[in-house]
Order: sequence, then C-alpha cells, then structure tokens
Amino acid sequence: MTELQARGVVKAYGPTPALRGITLDVAEGEIVAVTGPSGCGKSTLLHCLAGILRPDAGQVFWRGERIDTWSEAARSKLRRTEFGVLFQFGQLVPELTVAENVALPLLLAGTGRRAGRTVATAWLARLGVADLADARPGELSGGQQQRCALARTLVTEPRVIFADEPTGALDTLAGEQVLTQLVRLAREQRTSVVLVTHEPRIAGYADREVVLRDGAVDGAGLGLDLPAAAGSGLGLRATGAPAGEALANAAPAGGAPAGERPAGGAR
Amino acid sequence: MRPGTLGRLALAGTRTDAVRVVLTALSAALAALAGLAALTVLAIPTPPATDDNEVRWSLQYATALLREPGLRGGTAFALLLLALPVLALAGQCARLGAPARDRRLAALRLAGATPGQVTRLAALETGVASLLGTVGGLVVFLVAHELLDRPGADGRLALPTDVLPSPVALAATVLGLPAVAAVATALLLRRVVTTPFGVVRRARRDRPPRPWFALLVPAGVGSFAGYFPLLHWLERHEVQALLPYLPILVAVGGLAALVGTVLAAGWFSYAAGRLLHRLAQGPAALLAARRLAADPWAGSRTFAALLAAVLFGGGAAAFRAHFQARYAAELAEARTFGDVTSAGDTFYLDTIGLVDLAVAAAVTIAAGGLLVALVEGIVARRRAYAALVAQGVPRGVLGRSVAWQALAPAVPAVLLALTVGLLLGRFLSGPVRTGGSGYVCEAAAAICADPAARGPYLRLVEAPERYVMPGVPLEQLALVGAGAVAAVALTVAVGLLFLQASTTVEELRAT
Ligand SMILES: Nc1ncnc2c1ncn2[C@@H]1O[C@H](COP(=O)(O)OP(=O)(O)O)[C@@H](O)[C@H]1O
Ligand SMILES: [Mg+2]
Repeated sequence: MTELQARGVVKAYGPTPALRGITLDVAEGEIVAVTGPSGCGKSTLLHCLAGILRPDAGQVFWRGERIDTWSEAARSKLRRTEFGVLFQFGQLVPELTVAENVALPLLLAGTGRRAGRTVATAWLARLGVADLADARPGELSGGQQQRCALARTLVTEPRVIFADEPTGALDTLAGEQVLTQLVRLAREQRTSVVLVTHEPRIAGYADREVVLRDGAVDGAGLGLDLPAAAGSGLGLRATGAPAGEALANAAPAGGAPAGERPAGGAR
Repeated sequence: MRPGTLGRLALAGTRTDAVRVVLTALSAALAALAGLAALTVLAIPTPPATDDNEVRWSLQYATALLREPGLRGGTAFALLLLALPVLALAGQCARLGAPARDRRLAALRLAGATPGQVTRLAALETGVASLLGTVGGLVVFLVAHELLDRPGADGRLALPTDVLPSPVALAATVLGLPAVAAVATALLLRRVVTTPFGVVRRARRDRPPRPWFALLVPAGVGSFAGYFPLLHWLERHEVQALLPYLPILVAVGGLAALVGTVLAAGWFSYAAGRLLHRLAQGPAALLAARRLAADPWAGSRTFAALLAAVLFGGGAAAFRAHFQARYAAELAEARTFGDVTSAGDTFYLDTIGLVDLAVAAAVTIAAGGLLVALVEGIVARRRAYAALVAQGVPRGVLGRSVAWQALAPAVPAVLLALTVGLLLGRFLSGPVRTGGSGYVCEAAAAICADPAARGPYLRLVEAPERYVMPGVPLEQLALVGAGAVAAVALTVAVGLLFLQASTTVEELRAT
C-alpha cells in the first residue's frame, strides 16, 4: 500500500525556488532516504510531505487522501496522530524530564499522566535509555538526547516518521546507534520513514535513495512519472530484500524514475 | 587576543543584541531622567524665614509638593521610586538575547579570549549603552528644563525649572548609573559559566527557594502596626529620646515587608509550579508547571518591580480611604457648626491622585519588563517549541502554557502585595477622628452672623469624639489589582505574537 505520495510539489520562498515539481511515493514500511547537497531542498520537501508546510503547487496524499489542502488544525492533528518527526537537535523541552518529554504527545491525545509515563518509560526501555527517564535534557549527551527524542517520535506509534538529519549533530558512533534503532523499530512497526540526510553513508540504512538537486529529483527531468501502483512493489523491498534484488526489481519492472537508485549495503 | 579583534568580535552581534543595547540605553535614559528630576527637587533652596513667610515656603511654585520643605523630600523620594521599575527593566534587558550572546562569548573564548576579557566585554557593552542613555537623558532633561520654564497665569512655576542640581550631582548621575550597570552586569555574568564549547550547560538544578523570608512580611507589617501604640506609649511615658527613631522603625519595617513580598513572589512561582505539576493533566499546564518550578526567578526582576508598584498602590488606596474619611468628617463637622470656611482641604486627596499616577506608570514600565522576560523565555525555547508544533502540538497549547506560567504566580503575588500594601497604609495613616465638641447657633442667620448678638443662642454640642478606622477601599484595591493582572495578561497577549513567530518551520532548519 502506498503510504505517502507527492505529485509535482512546488515550493518557493519568495523568489527562491526550493522545490520544482517533486513526485515521490513512499510505500508502507518503506525507508526512503532523501539526499543531496546542502540547500537542494531536502528539508523543504520533508516539511511539505509532513504537512508542516503547504506546497505552492502540486499535491500530497496520505493513504490516498489529499492532505495539502487541509486546514492547519487538521494537518496538525494528522501530525500528532499519524506522523512522527525527528530533527537534528534541540527538540526536547529543557524543563521537562525525559519521561515527560516523551509522554507529551500522549497527554495531548488525552492520556492521563500516569498512563503516559508508563508508556513513555516502556519506549525509553526499548531504546535502552530507561535510566534517563527522570533526567533533564540538559544533563544528557547529544546521543542520549537524540535517543530520547526518538522515543518521543515513536511513542504515538506513527505510520510515517520524518527524520531531518537526525544524526547531523552526533559523532559517528552515536549516529549509528540512533539510526540502527530508528531502522529496527520502524521495521518492527512497519512504519514508513522519510530520512533526510546529506551523508551518503547514512542513506545506506534506507531501502531506497532519492537524490535531490536544485529542488528536483535528480534525473526527473526525463519526464518519468511514478505509476500509482509502483508503491506496492516498493513496499516489498521494505521487508528486507537485499539491495541487488531491489535493483533488479526497480529498473525494468517498476519503471522507477532515474535518480531513484536503491541504496546499497543497508541492514 | 588584541583588543581590536576582541572589539570587532563583540560587535558582530545580531538584531537581538541591537535591541538589547537600545533598550538598555532607553532604560538608562529613563532612570537618569527620574534621578535628575529628584535631584532638581532636592536642589530647591529653602528660603530664610521672614515675617510674611515664617514657614519658609518656596512661594514661587504652584504646588505644595514643591513649595513646602517638609514635602519636598517625599516628592524626591517618589521620583526615585519611579526609577526602580526602570532599573528592573534595565536588568531584564541585560538578559535579552543573552543565550545568543553567551554563545558568541563562548566562541570568543574558543578564539582565545580569557573569561575575564569576556566578562569585561559584556560589562563594557552595558556600560557604554547606559552611558549613551544617561547622556541622552541629560540632554532631554536640560532641553525640557529650558522649554518648561514658563510661569503660569499666577506667576508661579509648575515645575522647579528655576534651579539645577549641582554639577557634581549631574555628573554623578550621568556617569554613576552606567558604572553601576556595568558592575551589575559583570556580577550577573559571574553565574554564567561560558565554557569554550559553550552552549551554557547547567547541570546543577537550582535549589528551590525557601519560604523563610515570608517572615519578613509579618515583621514589616508588625512594625507598622506597632507605630501608633508605640508613639502613644512613648509620649505617655515621656520617653522623648526614643521618638526620633520611630520613623526609622517604619522605614526598616516597610523595606522588610517589600523585600519579603518580592521574595515571596519567587516562592509563589515555585509553589504554583509544584501545585500545577501535581494537578496538571494537560500538556499546557505541565509545561507551565515545570518552567515555573525550574526557574521561579525568570522575570523576577521586573515581577518584583510590578509587585512593588502594586504594594505602593495598596498603600495609596489605604491613604486615600483615610483622607476621604477625614475629609468627610471635616465636612460633617463644618456642617454641624455652620463653619463653611474651613470646609475640608483636598490637598492630600490630590496628592494621592499623583501617587496613583506614579503607580500606574510604574506598573506600565514593569509590564514592559515582564514582556521582555516573557519574549526572552519564548525565544530561548523556540527550537523545542517549533519541534513541538511540527509534531502536531497546537500553538494554542503552547500559548496556554505561557499564559499559565505568567498568571499562576502573578495572581496570588498581586493579592499578597495588595494586602501588605493595604495593611502598611492603614497602620501608617491610622484612624480618623470624628465628632468633637463645639457651639451651634440656633437662631436666624442674621443673628448668628453677629458675634455680639448670637451669644444667647449658642448651644454646646458634644458629639462623642471617636477614632474610627476608615473602611477597606475595596473598589480602589480591585482597580489596582485588576490593573496589574491586566498588565500581565496584556504582556502575555503580546508575547503570544512572538510565540507565533518563534515556532515557524524556519526554526527547525539545522543551520
Ligand atoms: N525560510 C526560508 N526563506 C528563504 N529561503 C529559504 C527558506 N528556507 C529554505 N530556503 C532556501 O530554500 C532552499 C532549500 O532549503 P532546504 O530545504 O533547507 O535545503 P536542505 O535541507 O536540502 O539543505 C535553499 O536554497 C534555502 O536557502
Ligand atoms: Mg536541511
């Protein structure tokens, strides 16, 4: 099933074009890396897909429903119920304890404080940071903070996770840990992931890599459009098919646009 | 590091830094104006006693506040009090955009600056900005001094524009204020450990404030309550030697009550946070509760100024009630004894009107400072807030948390300040004497007007002389309290505009 679809998404900041017609499908449970040089529009694309920004033109669908036309309130609700976001750093509220930070989305959904804490600590335990539940974010290392932020992203069991350079502020080892956990848990929950990064090595964790250049999918100029059915084929790969097989699938059968190349060597 | 390099790096600030410098200069200018006004009042010479002016009034002035030597001290003091909220505003401004500045200072350290150099740099910024402000204030003062020097229709001056403070006093104000500001900045910065890698990391949790200082409040109020009984006792037992010390008792007591109230406000913030935390189910209250408990002193400088203003407002309300009761008693007396000429003097009531005006001005200035603190708090957390909004937390939730955080401590603190102010005012103004005895003329007006003829018609009337406490001026108190809370609410409303701007998606961009 196709989880997320972008159709000809255009976005400009004033005179600066950031996205120039992006078409992209993300299948259920698929991990898609969006890469490209700094300033090519990766973050903007992520914000458009997540319903944080409204595209100037084009459409964004979530499970077949067009969401870019929804009101801010409706998109906000969608984000807190079905989506999860993970940014580079600094997303934990400094005054709340880690457990409270993690439980915050649950409280918004009406869960009581006690129940929220139980769920939050369970997620912290799954991420191996249960002992940090009562710490303040300022007392943690960057890697620990990011793992706690990941727990907050996962606590609502979102259908799609949007991660914008989630390891950008971490050293290699801490980055690996966070990514490994993100990928493992996403697989367990069959959660789709849009992973924005400028590091090719990080993209290796994904099922597929979409390269952006100057606000367009690299090679999309060839005029290829993703058929709506392609998503299901891509979804298969999300279950862990080796990269080579994915490559074999993608090029002739699925008709994936050039520039979408399968990522090598993840797992 | 060469001073030149250091200076250039120091100036490479952001817009927030520019705003901070401008606000610092502005508040220094306001403080200088208040100080210069007070000094000018104090510079009025008391004329030597003459036959037609035994009381040594400065008759060139229209208002008794300047005319009577006994009142001038109070006038100058009131002007200086106005400087207090301004100074609090300045203190708040010094921290505006401070996280960004601290990071820049940290970068300076990384580039080889010593901690001492960094501190001096920040102190220098405040000092220079304040100096610009005080010089500007002096210029405005001198220009106004010239322009306003116009006698009214009765040939009297509305303001003491005929005198100037001594050059030494002028220089002390213009140079002393910036020096004090710079030293204060250096002292404040001592607490900020800017490690070279430094986004200032505060691992140590602040100790919760202790409520012992709340004892200062009853102690202060008690000293006021004891004033009249003690005065009477001393007079009855003729212990004259101790009488001059009574005003000192009152001054110390008043200060204790004020300091106690202000410190209690910090504790209120903390306690409100704890209570909210226990009761809160929703995320808005939880966020507010944690922030209050984590940093009960956030914005406390200006909060303190607000409470001081409210305390004075409460005291003024008590005095107003006293003077109103006295005025009414005098009128009643005059009516009973047909003596319309001595019908009540409204001077004191008018003066209280001026005090109210000063309180309103102080509340306004303090609200400005609160706004700075509030915006500062939002801007410092904008990344976390923007991430929450991206995660689907409605901005309304964040807005409510900001409102909770401002109002939860403000309401009880304002109530306390009003109560303390009222008590101080009541004890100090004391009861009002009513009744008394006098002759009433019971005849036609024509006879009564003739002192020779009215003798037989005079009758001694004795209304029992009583001392009554004037009623509690609830309306006036409600006005002051509501005004203060409304000022806080207004700052919240304006602060929410910044919340909107601080949670845009731009804040999430990594660089
Ligand atoms: N708020 C903004 N205002 C103006 N230009 C912006 C804004 N946000 C992004 N841009 C521009 O849009 C382009 C894409 O930005 P972004 O999506 O952040 O790129 P990336 O995440 O790939 O580094 C860049 O040229 C950037 O300068
Ligand atoms: Mg980016």
